[in-house]
Amino acid sequence: MAVNPKKLRPYDQPPKVRRPIIPNEPDNAATAFLVAALVWFLAAAGIGLLWVAYQLFPDQLTLHLEMPTVSGVLTFELSPATTTSGFWNSLVYGWLGNAGLGAIFFITPRLLGRRLVSETMAAGAAALWNIGLAAGLVALYVPQLSGSGALTEFPLPVAGVLLLALLLANAAFWRTVLASAERQPYVSIWYFGVALLALLGLYGLISLAQLLSVVKLFSLPATGMALATAFYGRALETLCLGGMAIGTLYYVIPRAAANPLYSWGLAMLGWLLWLGLSTLAPLASLVDVSVPFAITQIGNVATFLLVLPAFLVVANLLLSLSGRWTLVLSPGTIPFALVALTFLVANALLEALGSLGSVRALVGSTEWGIGVRLFALLGTATFAFLALADHAFPRLLRRDWGGTLLAEATLWTAFAGAAVAGLALIAGGIVHGSLLAQAATPAEMDGFVFWFRLGLGAGIGLTALAAAVLALNVFLMYTSARRAEYAIVLDAAAVPAAH
Amino acid sequence: MTVPTPIESRTRGIPGWALTLTGGMVLAGALFFATNPSGSNPPILGTPQPSGSGGLNAQSIIKAAGCQACHGPDLAGQAAFPSLHGVKNGPTSANLQQLGKDRPDDWANLWIAGTDPAVAGIARNGMPVFAGPPTNLSPEEIATVVEYLKTLP
Repeated sequence: MAVNPKKLRPYDQPPKVRRPIIPNEPDNAATAFLVAALVWFLAAAGIGLLWVAYQLFPDQLTLHLEMPTVSGVLTFELSPATTTSGFWNSLVYGWLGNAGLGAIFFITPRLLGRRLVSETMAAGAAALWNIGLAAGLVALYVPQLSGSGALTEFPLPVAGVLLLALLLANAAFWRTVLASAERQPYVSIWYFGVALLALLGLYGLISLAQLLSVVKLFSLPATGMALATAFYGRALETLCLGGMAIGTLYYVIPRAAANPLYSWGLAMLGWLLWLGLSTLAPLASLVDVSVPFAITQIGNVATFLLVLPAFLVVANLLLSLSGRWTLVLSPGTIPFALVALTFLVANALLEALGSLGSVRALVGSTEWGIGVRLFALLGTATFAFLALADHAFPRLLRRDWGGTLLAEATLWTAFAGAAVAGLALIAGGIVHGSLLAQAATPAEMDGFVFWFRLGLGAGIGLTALAAAVLALNVFLMYTSARRAEYAIVLDAAAVPAAH
Repeated sequence: MTVPTPIESRTRGIPGWALTLTGGMVLAGALFFATNPSGSNPPILGTPQPSGSGGLNAQSIIKAAGCQACHGPDLAGQAAFPSLHGVKNGPTSANLQQLGKDRPDDWANLWIAGTDPAVAGIARNGMPVFAGPPTNLSPEEIATVVEYLKTLP
């Protein structure tokens, strides 16, 4: 009997397929993390502009709103302190954290030749991570809810959600690695493994200390907590974000150049040195009379020696570009990656310089440290993930897109932004340190430092522009580019040896 | 659909120059540590080091810590934030009266530090600072600031 398709009866209709709440298609987690990263990049840059405004005019622009609730009056506070927290947290956890996790879940299946063992777990991690961050960011502006210490201000329930997300991300990653037939995974996997474990371990420990303090089982003194958060902040930079960024660069450069890696042995030597020195370097943050000087000095020596793995990474990847140098001049992944390598060396050299006693004495209490940190965050890590974004977005969104003018604009505005912002604070730190040494008055110092903070404003403004251009590029890619099919790793049986 | 190709390595060994460089730098680091093991750390970083007289030190710390952003340019209070003048006679805010009675000598230090067990029951955090990522003032810096506040009218 012929069926009129325009008038289907219930039993003629195909059975409905129930869609899971968390989708389980390949690359879902990577897409979720990277799209969220893009949104957080815009948010961080926007909050960064407000942060700079407060640096320039700290006595103005404050806003206080009181909201009566059943448990008392909650104060929403837009102030220098809350905005500073908002900027660093949205930059580190929002943009770089999401991008790093997205990089891990994009690259790992492609290197191990099989899809993630549990895409649902990784996608769940993406959902929890971003819900937690959004709630945490709002809580930062309500001082009654937020904690203290750099990058550890989120309230305990939010920290719990973020920890659960990290636990899921670790589970998805390690189950995939252990299920893989690859006995000697590519070097990126080694970096990602350390970064993920370190992020979970460090965030877990610092949250546990806060939890014990709240339930009054154990309480670190104020100095102890300040030292712990200083160590945490530095370890987050060297071990977690550094690991994610270097692991990403080890993938995108050989892949984009279609060249083999120069040396496996050199890569593993660099990884071993990075692992040891990055673990010890945060000891240099433990600067207080209560800490034995020898411990701090071990951290200083490790910070100085971190130049070595940075140099080995750069040498290995540059030698991997042999015969493909023309790619440097063409728009695309390679220029982003090369800028990341430049910032990697520059940051390592500046950190090494800052670990010297005489330099520490001059700039230890100035904006120098923030400038060097901006080199690491807006320079090395940001450009590594921009390189990945350039490589991954066309594959994730299945679009034929690349080498556009917008990519060029992102490259140059982001480069100028990171360089100007970092250098302004580094130079400002040197001037500030000199003025402090000369016992200048606060008014004199303000007069000089103002101009360097203006440079910081220009740099953050350019970074915000870069974020907007990147978002526009991805939007145009999704809406107007031709559909294209790229390689997708389905399962181990389908592609047994694929990297 | 194409299948991704593996990322191969041109060589599996470690180049001689890399081993020499690594050995040399690690040796230099060890020598540096062995010859500079002793010294002393200053109070915790995060705020400018004192550079002049006591009053100027305190003003530098207050400036860098961003206290004036909330408490006003002259620390006389603004909006919901209380004045820091007159603290030499004890707390001016109603919610600090009990703390002032319990700890007449260091109530202000505890209030700024915030995380000390003595003020844990009040459920608040330490005073925020502004110079870069928030961190806590060291006890020595807090003492310097409190001494200065006690000189205000």
